[in-house]
Amino acid sequence: MIKVENVSKVYGKKEGTFTALDSVSLQVPDGATVAIIGKSGSGKSTLMHIMSGLDHATSGTVTIGNKQLATMKQKDVDRFRATEMSFIFQSFFIEPNQSCYQNVMLPLEIAEVPRSKRRQMAQAALKAVELDDKIDSMASSLSGGQKQRLAIARAMVNKPKLIFADEPTGNLDSMTGDKIMDLLFELNKSLGSTLIIVTHDHDLAARCQMQVRIKDGKIENLKGKK
Amino acid sequence: MYVTDTIRRGSRSLRSAKARTILTSLAIAVGGFTLTATLAAGNGVRDYTDRLVKSNFDPSELIVGRDKEISNSGAPNTAPKEFDESISSLSLGGTGGSLQIKQVTDADVEALKKITYIEQVRENIQLTPRYITRDGQKKYTSLGEVYNPAQKPEIAAGKIPLDGDIPKGSIAMPEGYVSVLGFKNAEDAIDKTVTLNVRQPFANSSPQELLGLLQSGIDLNAIAPPSKDVSFKVVAVTKRAATSISFGALPLLLSAPDAREIYDYTVKGTSNYGKYIYVYAHIKDGADEKNILAAQEDLQKKGYFTQSSKDIQKQITQVVNILQYLVGVFGLITLVASIFGIINTQYISVLERTREIGLMKALGMRGREVRSLFMLEAGWIGFLGGAIGAIIAIAIGIPLNPWITKKLDLGEGNSLLIYRPLQILGLIFALVIVAMLAGYLPARKAAKLDPIEALRTE
Repeated sequence: MIKVENVSKVYGKKEGTFTALDSVSLQVPDGATVAIIGKSGSGKSTLMHIMSGLDHATSGTVTIGNKQLATMKQKDVDRFRATEMSFIFQSFFIEPNQSCYQNVMLPLEIAEVPRSKRRQMAQAALKAVELDDKIDSMASSLSGGQKQRLAIARAMVNKPKLIFADEPTGNLDSMTGDKIMDLLFELNKSLGSTLIIVTHDHDLAARCQMQVRIKDGKIENLKGKK
Repeated sequence: MYVTDTIRRGSRSLRSAKARTILTSLAIAVGGFTLTATLAAGNGVRDYTDRLVKSNFDPSELIVGRDKEISNSGAPNTAPKEFDESISSLSLGGTGGSLQIKQVTDADVEALKKITYIEQVRENIQLTPRYITRDGQKKYTSLGEVYNPAQKPEIAAGKIPLDGDIPKGSIAMPEGYVSVLGFKNAEDAIDKTVTLNVRQPFANSSPQELLGLLQSGIDLNAIAPPSKDVSFKVVAVTKRAATSISFGALPLLLSAPDAREIYDYTVKGTSNYGKYIYVYAHIKDGADEKNILAAQEDLQKKGYFTQSSKDIQKQITQVVNILQYLVGVFGLITLVASIFGIINTQYISVLERTREIGLMKALGMRGREVRSLFMLEAGWIGFLGGAIGAIIAIAIGIPLNPWITKKLDLGEGNSLLIYRPLQILGLIFALVIVAMLAGYLPARKAAKLDPIEALRTE
């Protein structure tokens, strides 16, 4: 369960302050799929950053499970992110000069997973996204859809409880984007991970169990099957 | 992140920017090359002086004198010494003057012989025979010395005992005498007989008296003291060793008793008889440096001045060290320049990889881990540079060695450039550390990068 309570984020000081988030509260049950929808500049990315501990709220609290991010030491937040969370980005952020295998290995190395388990975990993740035949290919040789699948493999290799996806289909044509979405929802089912998708794609948002619509830093609308 | 993973990731990203990595490390390689070559030359020169001293001085022997100049190794004192009336002083260059050297007398020699830690005392006898000749040959000037096994003269022919004395009645002759005395070659001279002519001194005749006699028209030969021939069997022909320190002509080498006999014959009755600028004292268990140092300290208390082979070596090595420091400083300056190269490269690398750093931090990599990743990359550059520099220095130095040896006349088996693996490894390690320190600032920048900002770069 993720609890967001009265989270505000204000940039700047005195005059010229900009409120990116204004008293946002919401609850996400474990294993849910959530879409955070809004126009660019609405504050949806800021909300994701605060929920993942990459950014700090000006006020309010975020509680994941029984852990309150704001009170944790940076070291523990980093560790928490390394073991329990994962990210998928619009522009993939894979290392083109490294092989698929090396790309997928990165979270395992950061989380200090024992070396003996790594190969098998990486293979399983690449198989799940149907890239197991590309394991030793350079990431630069992949197509856009394959790159995002590689990014998904990297995101799930460590079996995180929480996956954040920031416009995961934004750089893909609709056919490929649909496939990526299918894959993400499949993973959500098979791994039981909570999936939080930031998007302005309404079709994609409609497939999520919860839709959080944000406008000017406030929750405009919150729909969802409990 | 485990260190091994960090090292592997670092080396991988260096490999993906090969040209830049190699160019940056080449700057370090220049410093690495200079320092490797300097160290190698230092080793070589030190080894050479070591051999030089060892082949000219017995390490278990001390040079013992009565004059401070002995331990000053000839460096003139700034203040003049008090004039010494006693006859045990030898005045060089006239009557009295600044170069007055207090000599060791036969009484001193006897006293030294009684000291328990001194096994043997060898007087430093210089023989000046009138001439050397052999049947049917011309006469030639010559110099003689007592054979000292520690000096290990180089042998052109024949045999010379490497410990102990050459037999009485034998002589070792420099190769310069071979042809003038009518031998076909060095081998031909062995076991042949040569004759030295020695003359008794002008007893009790001062230079003034001799001058007076000359002026009164008397033929000096008529009043010349008697002379005699002494014959020796040639046991060896010597040649100048590459490591010989002695300058001037090589001396004839005689056994101690023969030399003493000639010395007595030629010098007895003069004021210089039984006096030596220095003598050699063989110290018991002198192979152990402690015994030498103890002996030196004790002899100092007894009023002697001493010099060990170590002392002599130190004086030579000092010059070498100064030269080495000078070249070393050049190496260090190039290193400083390459440090800026590393800082620059690593800053560019951090800028280029902003997104990668952001991703790693988003995935939970800690700031300090990011820092060590970039510092290790800098360390890799240092390692590459050091290795390239050392390999080039070795690759150039080893084939060059025989040529240098020939050019500088160092003698067979001596090399100017001596590479010690441990030293080179230590140097490379030091370069890695220096490079890592140089990489600190860019690495800190990477560590402080805000992942949100970094990932926003679209």
